[in-house]
Amino acid sequence: MQFHQDPAFREELIRDYLLNRLDADTAEAFESHYLSCDECFEALSTSHILMAGLGQSKIELRRVEDVLVLQFAGPAQLTRQSFELEELQRAFQQNDTKVLIDLGRVIKIDSAGLGQLMSHYSHVVKKRGMLKLLNPSAEVQALLRLTRIDSVLETYHDERQALQSFDAA
Amino acid sequence: MTVTLEPSAVERYRLKLRYKVCYHLGSSCPDLEDVVQETLVRFLRALQSEKIRNPESAAAFLNGICNNVIHEYRRRRWKEPVSDPDICRPELSADLEADLLELRQVIALVMTQLSQRDRDILRAFFLEEKDKGEICRVMGLSDIQFRVALFRAKERFREIYHQSVKRNTTAKH
Repeated sequence: MQFHQDPAFREELIRDYLLNRLDADTAEAFESHYLSCDECFEALSTSHILMAGLGQSKIELRRVEDVLVLQFAGPAQLTRQSFELEELQRAFQQNDTKVLIDLGRVIKIDSAGLGQLMSHYSHVVKKRGMLKLLNPSAEVQALLRLTRIDSVLETYHDERQALQSFDAA
Repeated sequence: MTVTLEPSAVERYRLKLRYKVCYHLGSSCPDLEDVVQETLVRFLRALQSEKIRNPESAAAFLNGICNNVIHEYRRRRWKEPVSDPDICRPELSADLEADLLELRQVIALVMTQLSQRDRDILRAFFLEEKDKGEICRVMGLSDIQFRVALFRAKERFREIYHQSVKRNTTAKH
């Protein structure tokens, strides 16, 4: 197999190897190759770290009945220019009207992050929906209080309670 | 012809074997280093007894040995009773969380240095796991544009990541 002929082919092969998608023979051939090829091993290591890092900023979406629950896969920072903020923006391209954002893994938030939460809140409210927060850390909670956002955005520390509150409203 | 190995080559093999073993047994495998060491010992013995005559087949031979050692390890583990199931599922340690966060910060730094198009390509390729053809079609890219953007983004990431690792290692010393 020619691993050096087409760099894009190699990148796809590496990504599929990391995702465990290659058939046994191709994976075997690639492993034999990278054991002797420093260039391909370096490309593999870089893709691995990059995928692990990007995967951390992924937002997992799940639905509990009619409520959309958003949760970060890894430690997240909702700060200006952070990739997580971009991911949150993308997640809101859904048309749900009952949304619960789990902030449990958010370790830092700044005015840009707070602004985006408020913007999503307004967007959902315009559609006669609700947006609530779950599990903010003490630091994030303090900031929500300081900016009085907590008077608008309901915050919960128990998921079941939070989900039930959507029905009660 | 006899195949010989420099100590530096052995270390390079060790690094790559560690990666391969991690891939197959998981990074939390408690016997990872033992599996790597056993593979290397068998490989070096095979070299000494001149079982490998063609240098070009050495890596394939090494890979085969490693597969056998992994297979034997799995069989042995499967036979052993698991005394405490929690041992197999370690919680994320504070160190690991810190490493992940550091990695996230490097990713964020790299992302700010890339154009929106390059960010979208990286995202589509690595996060959404789309194939090249689909990304090119949706984003209106040629094959060359895709390759250049991916290569540029990965190179930038590699540079920043290595700088960050170097800086942290120096700080720890």
